[in-house]
Amino acid sequence: MLYDMAINEELAQMDKDAEMSHKSLQVSEIQVPLRLIMRDCVTIDISTSTQEAIEILIENSIGAASVVENGLLRGIFGERDLLCKVLNRDVGDLTQIPVTHFMKADPKTASPDDMLDTAILYMAHGGFRHLPIVDERQHPTGMVSIRDVISYLIEFFPQEVLTLPPTPIRDAFKAREGA
Amino acid sequence: MDARTLSLPISTLDYKQPATVQVGSPVSNAIDLMQIEEFRCVLVVDAEQRLVGILTDRDLLVHICGKNLDPTTINVEEIMTEEPESLRASDPIAFALNIMHLGHFRHVPLCIWDEQQQEFPVGMISIRDILDHVAIFIESKKGAA
Repeated sequence: MLYDMAINEELAQMDKDAEMSHKSLQVSEIQVPLRLIMRDCVTIDISTSTQEAIEILIENSIGAASVVENGLLRGIFGERDLLCKVLNRDVGDLTQIPVTHFMKADPKTASPDDMLDTAILYMAHGGFRHLPIVDERQHPTGMVSIRDVISYLIEFFPQEVLTLPPTPIRDAFKAREGA
Repeated sequence: MDARTLSLPISTLDYKQPATVQVGSPVSNAIDLMQIEEFRCVLVVDAEQRLVGILTDRDLLVHICGKNLDPTTINVEEIMTEEPESLRASDPIAFALNIMHLGHFRHVPLCIWDEQQQEFPVGMISIRDILDHVAIFIESKKGAA
């Protein structure tokens, strides 16, 4: 009886502790302007060949870049275009084919003052991993990737995500039973 | 999205069945599969279906497009990442985020282990699955507001 009471007391305290440490992301925390999250813009001139554009992606370790004409955004070119439109296709010499041939023209964009939650919904509904950020005159000023978004969100949960053991504790009860 | 969600098993997310190719297959086979299934990566398995590597669209960019190689003449094991970090579907979502964040990976294979600790892929969790989950959270909060 005394034992049951002690157990119940302990469980109640554990519930209370769990509730106290229960952190929740608020929508207001996701409403940060994209200018605080976006990374510098890497651009590809519209006259660039596809092979040169590939080299720009590799050199800058990025998945996609904005294609510009006289400083204005015309399209976006990245890994997805290569996978879907170039690889395993008889497309010819990539040094002779302009990047405009394979880029996605007139991509969805956001402004530096748009909020992160807007970008998340654009990416989720549009199925893309990169969102070019442009000013009011359509000049690219940055790029937000799906990785930038998730990295930003993880910062809210350092204890839950970043300070974990190398592998999850699995079959804990089984191990205790066998010991 | 909250701390409690992060402790839920990965299986609560809408993760995908893996697309697999066998060691010894030409890269062109992996590309075909990625195009048909609309996946951005494939898992490489041996004849016994054990996980040996992962091949992503980034690998194709760097090793095939960047070097202008013919994907029918290169085998998947020549450009894949060997022994990728993997998890179980019953592991917490936080571990998938941890691996993605620290390792700069966009995909984590989900496996089962046999008694000899050999890994057999049964699923794949991607950074997009996480984003979709966050989008649902935002929409639910906006709808409730």
